[in-house]
Amino acid sequence: MRAPLLVVMLGLSLAAAACSTEPSASVPAPAPDPITTEEMTALLETSSEPVVLNVWASWCIPCRSEAPMLSRAAATFEDRVRFVGLNVRDGSGDAGAFIAEFFPEAPIEQYADASGAIPIDLGGNRGVPLTYFYAPGGELRHLHRGVIDERTLALQIDELLAG
Amino acid sequence: MEFTLVAAAALGAAAAYVMLWWEARHGNADRCAGNIWEAGLVAVVVGIFAGRIVAMLIDGVNPVAHPGDVLLVRGGISTVAASLSAVLTYLWIGRREPIAMADGIAAAALAGLAGWHAGCVFRDGACLGTASELPWALAQPSSMVTRHPVELYAAAALLIVAAALAAWKAYGRPPPGVPASAALLTAGTVRLATEPLRPSLTGGPIWWYALAAAVGLIGLIAFTVRAHGAR
Repeated sequence: MRAPLLVVMLGLSLAAAACSTEPSASVPAPAPDPITTEEMTALLETSSEPVVLNVWASWCIPCRSEAPMLSRAAATFEDRVRFVGLNVRDGSGDAGAFIAEFFPEAPIEQYADASGAIPIDLGGNRGVPLTYFYAPGGELRHLHRGVIDERTLALQIDELLAG
Repeated sequence: MEFTLVAAAALGAAAAYVMLWWEARHGNADRCAGNIWEAGLVAVVVGIFAGRIVAMLIDGVNPVAHPGDVLLVRGGISTVAASLSAVLTYLWIGRREPIAMADGIAAAALAGLAGWHAGCVFRDGACLGTASELPWALAQPSSMVTRHPVELYAAAALLIVAAALAAWKAYGRPPPGVPASAALLTAGTVRLATEPLRPSLTGGPIWWYALAAAVGLIGLIAFTVRAHGAR
């Protein structure tokens, strides 16, 4: 008896979701600076603060999902944790538009790796998003594959800050 | 939706189903037992969708422009929107006998929540909260920091109350409305009590858990008084 109701509810949800329109135009931010594996490694090893390194791409739907939370976290921990974004396998225009939409004011250093080799060199894979958690000095403490939730992000930052 | 979330949801659904199955054999909601499971499932699905869409809107992501994002539950769900939508949907489905329907799912809902929280065991570190040096504190792999297994605290508390509530309904026959109110009070209180032990960026919607507990307490008192007055 309730099955039709479930179908109706799901149908309405999917119909609403399917009525796609173009996202509102935003002013692109400057494209992120290109970086090599050696430069990224040096950045991690010389950082006096813990580093949260998020690997993203503008075409990655889960990246869009977690971006607002990362932006908030970066603002919250601005003085204690260094947030770094690594855009991979992306066009500079798309990357700039993504930054303008999701990280316009966020204290996140943004870099680009067109080849997508850096995440693999750092122990990850080609999938995005990835979030690496580094202790000061560049020791990898945790690698989260896939979209990260608030609780996991908070827990891993707490681990970094605990030393 | 990733495997660990599906596994936790399946554990929650299984716990709720087992509780309903047991209660059905002990006189639970004689007139509407057959509808409780289906109504509960619909309510949960609606709650998840509504909670996810509201979370996207809060984050500035247009759900119409990005429909695929709705399925990314891990990206965040608005607890307030999800629970309100689920409760209202359930009560709307059971609008002919709302109190009987609410009482009917009370223990199963707590058991389902317990299963959902216990589902943290499917992912490393997901059960852990703030740092602690208590003897039963746990550390995630490769970490020296021991922490409260806060999700297991919540699961245990919810399961104990769910079992007590089911037994009360089976053998004590509480007044109508009291089991549902007690379940709401329990859900709000357990969440309120464990929230400070959870790592969080925002602190969580504490006021919402407090409101749920308060509404549950008021309902508990009101339905009890009404039952005594009717005698």
